[in-house]
Amino acid sequence: MNITRNRWLSLVAAATATAALAGCSDGGAGAGGATAEAEPEGPVTIEVWGWNAETGQQYAEAFNAAQDDVVVEYVLQASNTATATNFRNAVEAGSAVPCLVQGFAPLTTMVVNGWAQDITDAVEPSADLYSKGALAAAQVNERYYGLPSGADGQFLIVNTATYDKFGVDVPTTWDEFLEAGRTFKAGGVDVTNLAGEDPSTLMNLAQQAGAEWFAIDGDQWKVNFTDDATLEAAEVVQTLIDEDLVSNQTYQDKPALYSYFDSGNMASTTTQWWSITGLQTNLVQSAGDWKAAPIPQFADADETVTPGRTTPSFVPEGCENPDAVMTFVDWGTTAEGIEAGRNPETGAVGFPTQIPDPSEYVADVVPEGFFTDDAAAADVIVEAQAATVGKFELGPNYDAWFPELQDQWGKAVAGEITVEEALAAVQKFVESDLESKGIAHTS
Amino acid sequence: MSASTTTVDEPGLAPPTPGRPPAASPPVRRRGPRWRTLQALKGASFSLPFLAGFTLFVLVPIVMALRESVYSTKTSGLGFGGSTVTFVGADNLLRAGADTVFWAGMGRVGLYAVVVVPLTQVVSLGMALVLDAASRRVGARFRIALLLPYMVPGIVATMIWIYLYSPVVGPLHEFFELFGLDVNFYSSSLAWVSIGNLAVWGSIGFNMLILYGALQAVPHEIFEAARLDGASEARIAWSIKVPFVRGPLVLTSLLSIIGTLQIFNEPLLFRAVTPESITKDFTPAMMIFNQAFQVGNVNYATALSIVLALVVGAGSAVIYRFLNRSEP
Repeated sequence: MNITRNRWLSLVAAATATAALAGCSDGGAGAGGATAEAEPEGPVTIEVWGWNAETGQQYAEAFNAAQDDVVVEYVLQASNTATATNFRNAVEAGSAVPCLVQGFAPLTTMVVNGWAQDITDAVEPSADLYSKGALAAAQVNERYYGLPSGADGQFLIVNTATYDKFGVDVPTTWDEFLEAGRTFKAGGVDVTNLAGEDPSTLMNLAQQAGAEWFAIDGDQWKVNFTDDATLEAAEVVQTLIDEDLVSNQTYQDKPALYSYFDSGNMASTTTQWWSITGLQTNLVQSAGDWKAAPIPQFADADETVTPGRTTPSFVPEGCENPDAVMTFVDWGTTAEGIEAGRNPETGAVGFPTQIPDPSEYVADVVPEGFFTDDAAAADVIVEAQAATVGKFELGPNYDAWFPELQDQWGKAVAGEITVEEALAAVQKFVESDLESKGIAHTS
Repeated sequence: MSASTTTVDEPGLAPPTPGRPPAASPPVRRRGPRWRTLQALKGASFSLPFLAGFTLFVLVPIVMALRESVYSTKTSGLGFGGSTVTFVGADNLLRAGADTVFWAGMGRVGLYAVVVVPLTQVVSLGMALVLDAASRRVGARFRIALLLPYMVPGIVATMIWIYLYSPVVGPLHEFFELFGLDVNFYSSSLAWVSIGNLAVWGSIGFNMLILYGALQAVPHEIFEAARLDGASEARIAWSIKVPFVRGPLVLTSLLSIIGTLQIFNEPLLFRAVTPESITKDFTPAMMIFNQAFQVGNVNYATALSIVLALVVGAGSAVIYRFLNRSEP
C-alpha cells in the first residue's frame, strides 16, 4: 500500500514538476519556447517556511523585487512548534517539502533525523559574507548542514541604582560576580536570578569555559558532561546556590518575574539583544537605571569569550536548489536586504548577527530610556557579538537529554543535589539513551 | 410519515380484505422479512457515524499502537545514517512492565487519585443536593456558574491558577497572609495540593450537572411520603436521594478515575514552577509524552500507553464491580 501511495505521490510530484518547469519555460524563454528539451530558463521558485510574522513576508517580497533569478514564496507558520509539526508531516508525506526552513531545533538534531542536507558546496563560495561564529554554528562534523546563523552574544545588564547603593563595581570576572553577590546578600538583594526550569545559565557558562559536551571522535560520539571546563562553570553556579546569592523566580509567572526584576532586589542578569525591548516595556520603575556590561569572564581565560547559541535554518533533503537558497540568504547580508527586514511597527531592523560587523545597525536594537548610556550599551552589544563562540555541539539526542538536564538542574537549584551530581546524572542518561538508539559513543 | 405508511404494509396489522383472492398474500409475506431487514438496517444505519468515528479514532489507533509497540527503531555509528526498524516482540511491553520510573509515576498518580476522586465526588454530590433543594430559578443560576470552570480548557485553567497561586502577584498569597499564614502554592510540598485544587475546581461542575440531572428525575412523591413520615431534609437526602443517584455516581467516579490517571496538562505547566519535584516523568502520561516527542522512541511510548490503558481499564473494572456490589 505504501508503495502504491509513494508511486502515486511520485507521479503527482513529477506532473507538478513538469508543469512548473513548463511554466518557467513559458515565462522565461518567451519566443524561444521551441527549445523544449533545453535547460529550463527563468527564475527558480523556492518555498521558505518560517514563523516571522512581522517581517518574513515583506522581506521575501523585497527580495523577489530586487532580482530575477529566484522567486521566494514565504509560508508563514504559526510558531516554532507549528513549523516542527508541519515539517515532520511534510517529510512523512514525502511531498511539499520546502527548500528552506527556519531552524526549530539544534542543527545536529536535523542531521540525525535525516532532514538537513549537506550544503557545503553552496555555502563555501559566500563564506566571506559571514562572521566566524555564524559559520561555525552552521557546521556539523566540519560540513555545512545549516545556513550561517549568528548566535546572540550574551552580555550583563546591571541595575546601577542597586550597584551604587551597595558601592559595588560591575564585575568583570565570575569570581568578582560571586564577591558582588556576597555584598548584596548582606543587604537582602540577589546578585541574579536562576530559574529552576531553565538550565541555560549552566549551558552558557559551560560554553564560555570551553566545555565540549559532545564531540565527534571518528565514527563515534565522545560524550563528556563533566570535563574540567564544565566543572569550572558548575563551581560558579554551585557557589551561587550554596551561599544563597540568587533567587529562583520562574519564567512561567512573568508578571511576578518582571515585578521582581523591577524592584531593585535583583542586581543583575545576563541577557541578549532581542530581550531588551521586552525588558524596557516591562521594567517601568527601573527603566533608565540599567547599564550594559560585557559578560564576566573566567579568571584564567586567554581571550574574551561570549556564550551564545543558535538554531540555524536548514535546507531539507529533497530540495534541488540549495544555490537558490544561498542567493536568498546571502541577500540578507546586504544593506538592501537588512533594510528589507525593518519592522514597520517598531521601526527597527533585525540585528544582523550573522555578518562580521553589525555595528552599523546596533542603534536600532537599543530602545530609548532603558540604559543609562545608549551609546555605551550599543558598544557592549557589538563587542558581545564579535566575541561569540557560536558553536556548542549538543549531540545527536538533544531533544532526549535536555528534559533530563532540566530535571537535574531543578534539583540542583533547589539544593537537593550538587550541580556536579546533576551533570553526572545527565551523562549517565545520555549514554543510556545513545545505547538504546544504537548510536556509537564513548565517554 | 414514512413510518405510518409502512405500518399499514405490516402483514399482521393489515386489515382483512373480504373477498380478496388468497393469491394476494404471498407477495405480502415475501415483503415481510425484506421489510424487517430493511427496517433493521435502517435502524442500524443510525449508528454508522458513531461506528465510523469509533473505528477511525479508537480501533485503528489501538491496532497501530499494538503494531508500533512490537518494533524497535535504531540507528548506528554517529546516528547520521538512516534508521532500521526491527521486530522485537514483547520486549517493549516487558520493559514497560519493569520500568520503575513509570510505575513510580503510576503510584504517585494512584495516590493522588485516592484523595482527589472521592473529594470531587463528595463536593459535586453536595452541590447537586444543595441545588436540588433550592428553587428552580436559583438552581439554574448557580448551575451555569458552577459549570463555567468545566468550560475553560485545561491549559487555560492552569495558566489562570498559576497566576492566582503566584506568591508575588497572586491574590491567594495575600489572602492567607491576612491570617498570618505564609502559604506558597509554588513550593514543592504544596505542588499536589495546588494541582488537586485546580483539578477539583475544573471537574466538579460537570459531575454536579450529571448528579443534579439524576436528582431531578427522582419521583417527588417519595419525598412527600418521607416528609409525612417525619423525615428531615438531611435524612431525605441521605436515605432517598443519594441511593437514587448511585448509578450516575458510579459513572462520574469512573470518568474521574480515568481522567485523573491520565493527568498531564496541570503537572506539565506546574513543572516550571516546581521543577525540583515535578520531573519530566512525573505522571505516566508525561512520561509517554516525553518518550514519544522528546526522546523520540515512539515504539516504547506506545508500549507504555498500552500498559497505562490496561491499568486504567482494570482499575475502572474493579471500582465498577465494587461500587455496584452494594447497590440495593
